[in-house]
Amino acid sequence: MPKYLCLQRSLPGGVPGGEKPSPAQMQAMYAKFNEWREKFQKNLVDLGGKLGAGRMALPEPAPDGPFVEVKELVGGYMIVSAESLDEAIQVARECPGLMHPGSGVEVIEIRTPG
Amino acid sequence: MKEPLEPHFFRHEYGRLVAMLSGRFGVHHLDVVEDAVQNALLAAVENWPKRTLPESPSAWLYSVAYKQCVGELRRRTRANTLEDRYRPSGPSATDEPEAAFLAGDVPDDLLRMLFACCDEAIPIESQLVLALKTLCGFDVREIAERLFTTEANVYKRLARARNRLREVEFAPGDLAVSELAERLPAVQAILYLLFTEGYLSSHAEGPIRRELCDEARRLTEILAEHPVSATPETFALLALMFLHSARLPARQDGSGGLLLLEEQDRTLWNQVEIRTGLSWLARSAEGDDFSRYHAEAGIAAEHCLAPSFRETRWERIVDCYELLDRVAPSALHTLNRAIALAEWRGAAQGLEVLEGLVPPSWLVGSYLWSAVLADLHRRSGHAELARHYRDSALASAPSQPVKEALQRRLVAG
Repeated sequence: MPKYLCLQRSLPGGVPGGEKPSPAQMQAMYAKFNEWREKFQKNLVDLGGKLGAGRMALPEPAPDGPFVEVKELVGGYMIVSAESLDEAIQVARECPGLMHPGSGVEVIEIRTPG
Repeated sequence: MKEPLEPHFFRHEYGRLVAMLSGRFGVHHLDVVEDAVQNALLAAVENWPKRTLPESPSAWLYSVAYKQCVGELRRRTRANTLEDRYRPSGPSATDEPEAAFLAGDVPDDLLRMLFACCDEAIPIESQLVLALKTLCGFDVREIAERLFTTEANVYKRLARARNRLREVEFAPGDLAVSELAERLPAVQAILYLLFTEGYLSSHAEGPIRRELCDEARRLTEILAEHPVSATPETFALLALMFLHSARLPARQDGSGGLLLLEEQDRTLWNQVEIRTGLSWLARSAEGDDFSRYHAEAGIAAEHCLAPSFRETRWERIVDCYELLDRVAPSALHTLNRAIALAEWRGAAQGLEVLEGLVPPSWLVGSYLWSAVLADLHRRSGHAELARHYRDSALASAPSQPVKEALQRRLVAG
């Protein structure tokens, strides 16, 4: 099955931060995430994690350009396997906490030679 | 991996961690502690489902939160030290002694924190909110929902409590045994209040209500098991909580309507809780102390032991209300005595008690007062008066379920 790289991206217009979840809400989040993980057990290759600071490395020093620091765009990553791009998107779409106003997921096929 | 955590794991861990870390770093750093605990729990939500659960989830959380506390306090100390260079006479955060960990005085961190919350300089409504936030792990929105008040009000009450705690600069473990004994009545009062907020609420949200009762009982059990707070009053308080919660399942019909005691299906009462309540009541009778909790537990016990409404030993309930009125005078207790007396000796006797009572304005305005008068007048054959009080009872009923229960009782007859 082909593999797909999923990148969580901040979208413009989202509310940064927002209210912190209460312990009871965290318990619900935890349960939901576990449910999702069980449902897509076969698809989940690497649950990945959060991404920290980064910078684009360029062949030569760049002038002021549109090279935004990576962390502002990408919050986290994971790798899933799926029959199609659509199926991979479905896995990501159902992942709790990934899709909300201000956050979306970019799903990219990982090509392997052969 | 199946979810191996208890239903209220996050909320109770929150309370435990806040209590442990406040014991270490002092309650004046409560804001730092609460932030750290919040973040540790979030880290757990993010990390635990991705691998296997840590061998001891609690220890994992403690270590994450502890490290964050140390980091944050170090940052603050550095900032303070810089400030002090320009203000050499000011107090330096580095002078602060390491919080003494008086293990052995009050071994349970939750208990210490509970005593720290019950500082007499904090108004009782603020103590209650502080306990719900720090010990039970409810957030502001959830507290507002449970106390039927606004979030702004909860914030205000919390701020008062926090301001006071920031002043005192102690760790809950620093409280001396003599201070604990002094604060015990305040601790009992807050647990009683927490319980009644859940139990007596006329709103229909059953499960939420039940949660407050369960939290109050959980904390009171800790109180009852510790030498410093294991007094007859505490036992009586715990007894009344068990005896009341035993009857909770029968208080509502299938659609959330309230059922009168007379209408309740007694087979739904929780017999295990009744037995536990009765054994705490027996323990509370050791010694000569008699508190309002004894009287209230006694009343609850009579109801639990009665095979039916008719076979209730009303004379004993009348006695208990009289004792209650003596240790904790309140027009509400007199009103209840009148109800019990009416069941025992007839409605006219009940009315006689009420005729001698000058009710405070809060009681006159409440549906309880009018409803009792309506019922007793109806049973005494005073149709005109009964109608008058019935109308005002229905008009002041605080919720639909209460109104419906009143209609059944007051209109049907």
